[in-house]
Amino acid sequence: MNNTITLGLGEQAVSRAQEDVLVAYGLGSCLGISMIDPVNHVAGLLHAVLPEKVNGLIHEDASTDSKFVDLGIESLLSAMLNGGANRGRIIVRMVGGANMLIAPGLTSTFDIGTRNIEKARFTFQRLNMKIAAEDVGGHTGRTVRVYVAEGRVTVRVIGQKEHDI
Amino acid sequence: MTQTIAAFDEDLLKKLTIITNEGIKNAAVGFSGMIGRKIEVSSPRLELIPLLTIPKVIGGLEDDAVGVYLRFEGDMFGQIMMIIPYQKGLELADLLMGVAEGTTQTLGQLERSALGELGNLCSSFFLNSIAKTIGASFRPSPPAVMVDMVGAILDIVVATAGGVNEHVLLVHTNFMDGPRCVETDFWVIPDMKALDLLLKKKTDA
Repeated sequence: MNNTITLGLGEQAVSRAQEDVLVAYGLGSCLGISMIDPVNHVAGLLHAVLPEKVNGLIHEDASTDSKFVDLGIESLLSAMLNGGANRGRIIVRMVGGANMLIAPGLTSTFDIGTRNIEKARFTFQRLNMKIAAEDVGGHTGRTVRVYVAEGRVTVRVIGQKEHDI
Repeated sequence: MTQTIAAFDEDLLKKLTIITNEGIKNAAVGFSGMIGRKIEVSSPRLELIPLLTIPKVIGGLEDDAVGVYLRFEGDMFGQIMMIIPYQKGLELADLLMGVAEGTTQTLGQLERSALGELGNLCSSFFLNSIAKTIGASFRPSPPAVMVDMVGAILDIVVATAGGVNEHVLLVHTNFMDGPRCVETDFWVIPDMKALDLLLKKKTDA
């Protein structure tokens, strides 16, 4: 019996429980970033909203780190290591970052999705970690699921079945 | 940021409720005129929602829905997002296109355009009421219509407001045509300047 753990905006989770499935529903411009250590069976998922903190506009509070791509990735990584993952074995997958607004004059200013993706790639490069698989960009929402037992990550878009990435 | 939260006090919410009530009623009249049948509207319920809790309020994040988004500018800047569950979107399309209930099975270009027009109409009447109350003027952008998962549509609200606002305004109302009832949620993302204007007006009154 699967135990579904739903991640809301700006939340993250790390699990070693075989029955757990970590889910982020309906990602638009948000990013779902998963990390899996297939040997030690540790899996984590981050539901990041924005690329980075904007100076002065948001309170300096570590509890909101998962809301941001850069801080969230670092926070998820340390949670993974604390959970028993081996850094060198972590497989990273990235889902989301769509540009949901397709209308004249609206897209360029509000393309948070693309900025999220760029920030994530940059952050992983800085951390010297590779992204094993991506299902990002475009104009559709996605649901991402992380099956802890199998170390499997799936994506589902509107009107379609979920598939592995 | 404390200013934003403080700005949304009970008084302001009450004031907004009155303005919104009028705006939505006007929108119903406009809507009725558009489809040539009398559409009634329930009194809107207003809520101030912390940004990150939006999905919890809506629920069913993976469900299909229709979103109509527009921005407004002028004396005030802001954004409005109208969200309708997909099934209700089909029913609304039936209503708007003047065809029998259950005729519309998918939302093509024409149906989306009709729904966009509805969102445009509702938002414009809502904006006009605010404009009249505070003596400001603003212009809405053309509507952008999207069909996708609820969560993905809400991401637009969250992402565009996330860097600036901690709270957004939710207007929940029902459009009724006899026994048929369509629930509609509007998310209004005002900017600081807009709130200042409303506040100023409030203290003046």
